Amino acid sequence: TEMAPTVTRSQPNRAYLGCSGTGASCPGCASHKSPSTAKSETYISLSQVLDENGKDVTPRPVYQPDPAAVQSKHSKIFASDTSGGTMSDFYSTTYQTTTNASFAGAFTRSLFGSGSVSIGSQSIMESMSEEIEDPSSKRDNSISLSDVQVKREEVKELIQEEMLDDMVDLYLVESDTLCLLDMPAISVSVDSMEAESVKERNSRYTELCKNRTGNDKYMGRSMQTFNGASKTKEVQSEAITMADAATIANNWDMYDSFCSAGQGEVDLSTDTDKAMSSSSSRMEMEPFVVPSESKPDPELILQSEEFQQHLFVMERIILENIYQPKLAAYRQLPTLEGMVLLKCWNHVTEQLSKQKRLRREESSLDEEGPPTPALERLWSFSCELTTGRNVSSMAWNKRNPDLLAVGYGQFAFKDQKPGLVCCWSLKNPSWPERIFTCQSGVTALDFSASSASMLAVGMHDGTIATYNVQSREKTPVIDSSDCVHKHTSPVWQVRWINHERALSGEDKGEALISVSADGRISKWFLRKGLDCIDLMKLKRTRNDRFKRQVGEKERKSEALISRQAPGLCFDFHPTDSNIYLAGTEEGHIHKCSCSYNEQFLETYQAHKGPLYRITWSPFCSDVFLSCSSDWTIQLWRQDLFTPVLGFMSTQRAVYDVMWSPKWATVFGAVNEGRMEIWDLGASILDPTIVNPASPGVKLTSLLFATETDCVLVGDSDGQVSVYQLKNFTAGEGTQDVSILQPPMRLVKSMSADRRRLGLFWFYIENKNV
Amino acid sequence: MAEVEETLKRIQTHKGVIGTIVVNAEGIPIRTTLDNSTTVQYAGLLHQLTMKARSTVRDIDPQNDLTFLRIRSKKHEIMVAPDKEYMLIVIQNPSE
Repeated sequence: TEMAPTVTRSQPNRAYLGCSGTGASCPGCASHKSPSTAKSETYISLSQVLDENGKDVTPRPVYQPDPAAVQSKHSKIFASDTSGGTMSDFYSTTYQTTTNASFAGAFTRSLFGSGSVSIGSQSIMESMSEEIEDPSSKRDNSISLSDVQVKREEVKELIQEEMLDDMVDLYLVESDTLCLLDMPAISVSVDSMEAESVKERNSRYTELCKNRTGNDKYMGRSMQTFNGASKTKEVQSEAITMADAATIANNWDMYDSFCSAGQGEVDLSTDTDKAMSSSSSRMEMEPFVVPSESKPDPELILQSEEFQQHLFVMERIILENIYQPKLAAYRQLPTLEGMVLLKCWNHVTEQLSKQKRLRREESSLDEEGPPTPALERLWSFSCELTTGRNVSSMAWNKRNPDLLAVGYGQFAFKDQKPGLVCCWSLKNPSWPERIFTCQSGVTALDFSASSASMLAVGMHDGTIATYNVQSREKTPVIDSSDCVHKHTSPVWQVRWINHERALSGEDKGEALISVSADGRISKWFLRKGLDCIDLMKLKRTRNDRFKRQVGEKERKSEALISRQAPGLCFDFHPTDSNIYLAGTEEGHIHKCSCSYNEQFLETYQAHKGPLYRITWSPFCSDVFLSCSSDWTIQLWRQDLFTPVLGFMSTQRAVYDVMWSPKWATVFGAVNEGRMEIWDLGASILDPTIVNPASPGVKLTSLLFATETDCVLVGDSDGQVSVYQLKNFTAGEGTQDVSILQPPMRLVKSMSADRRRLGLFWFYIENKNV
Repeated sequence: MAEVEETLKRIQTHKGVIGTIVVNAEGIPIRTTLDNSTTVQYAGLLHQLTMKARSTVRDIDPQNDLTFLRIRSKKHEIMVAPDKEYMLIVIQNPSE
């Protein structure tokens, strides 16, 4: 290979980037510095390099610039003279700021090829490419020091080494608008002012062209123009990194982004500049796109509302799985025997029809008599909180028939402990939905009909409280302990009664009525706090029929203590809310009216012991039942002063009795040892179904389910068992009240054997149905 | 807080419940009654299934959303309550 002559320069330690001319010829050249600017010099030091053979392998510069030419060119550039050539012209006109000039300087240097293309040219290229991209002073800090020198030439300031460390203020200013292309229109509007002159010129020109041909004045001549030398220029840029991104836009994904974008977006329709608004919305969307990075603490998750809700639902689902056959039986749905999952629908229907056939066969076998009614125990509401407590009262919610309130409290005076009210839902028989603890044993409960979440509770110490079961609060809404006229003895029954007809001076609407052992029936209302007025004071009445009983003597001495008889139960007439019956501890039933609070309308005397329950028949408005601790249940008619029928099955006190809401002749009774269902259509001497209690447990309360054939029985161990009445077909049609009426009227007309005839008629009429 | 713990305990003691798992959005178990490997397996698999189920429900109607998922198999039933921040899984054998 040919060896190029080594270049020995007059200034061997000077970088090529600098000017190769002497200081005099280059006035503005910053590279003619004192050798103190050694940094650039050391950066590129070209000394001779000899290899082992003595050959000169000094790296040659790519270009051999002509020093003279370089110098002249440099001086031209640095003196910022306008020189020939379109390019330099262009750049000189734009030479406004230092940055621009450096841009020009670097660019022209390489363009003309005369620049100090050397090893340092690479850095120029880089810097130039950077400059092309961004002609701002951003790159000042990033380029090599030699380039710094290049720029500073224009500043006309001696750059010392120390000054390089100074903080320099960089000002970004807006450069003037560069007009890169200006193509004036070749057409002019007819309305404009120049139109006339243009039109004239045009016409003159056409005239000229017309005259030109064949005219001696004009001669064609050709001319050669210079062709500018063209040069190809290559630019290299960094590789553009590309990344593939793909996404699937689901239906809901688009909906979600639309919803979240809609929150932060300017209304597109009203905005005039659609492009502007869309770009602004895109920018505003960024915060929505980036999800919140906070990782929720596990403990926070566990405490959150949604988690509790999910737990709640999950528990119910689990219990539904467990109790599904029982709940289905409660709801009277057809159930498949066994939990085997049948594979195909045909098989399922086949099973169902097979079962139906079997049942029909069963029933056809017993065509002679109806199949024996029986009770099937479904489940029981109980949990560890309630074991050992005595169930004293139960009430269904008036709006939600799946909600049951159960009050727990001892009846007897001696075993008093704090009472409990649990609201159970059918969907969770293992844990109550609401638990309210009360200071003393709960003896009475009732749900309000107008505001379905109000539960009134009567307690053993005479307090009446109302709870709101919708809220999660454990305290009563209102309490009667501050009331002056509160009851001083256990409240044995509370009821919400709707007075449709407004009595004189009293409000219409629902009122809470309570009866207590201090002999008062009170009506409670909310004035400034809970207050009550007495509807009736139950006075002791002398029992004329049992004059010669031992009890009379006692009563006489008792009269000194209290002139009032403890009231144990009451019931308002189903249609006439003015009339009600009250039962006392003496065994009397008093018919009273709300209008008279001094006197009873009637008194029915038959029981020999305290009355535990009085209840009107829901079908026959004249008939009511009463049960007492004298082991009997009596069926009365309003206008007869002796009971029409009496029922006694065992020698136990009957704690509770209730008419069935579905069948007119059926009622249930619970005494200490067993639960009985009486069907007067079937037999008036014996109960139709008897269910004995578990040993050691006393049954204390009874409740019929309103929409299904189930009976709830509460016992002294805190369990409320749900039983389903099976094969109970008797008396289904006796909802027609009038059927019961004729025998009653007939009974009334007979005087002597009234009781037996009443029995007879009762029996006959209901047999026909 | 105690109520939540109580409810969780009650759920675990119901008849037939094999296991209860609560995992957070990343699949890290918060509460579990099964061993770790089973928990992680259940959480991972059910997460994918829940995503797919939710996508299905919302594709049909974007205003709808998945609230509960129950998978009944031959041996037991898996119940999943999904949420943005966690997932509650209960495995129950109902015919036990």
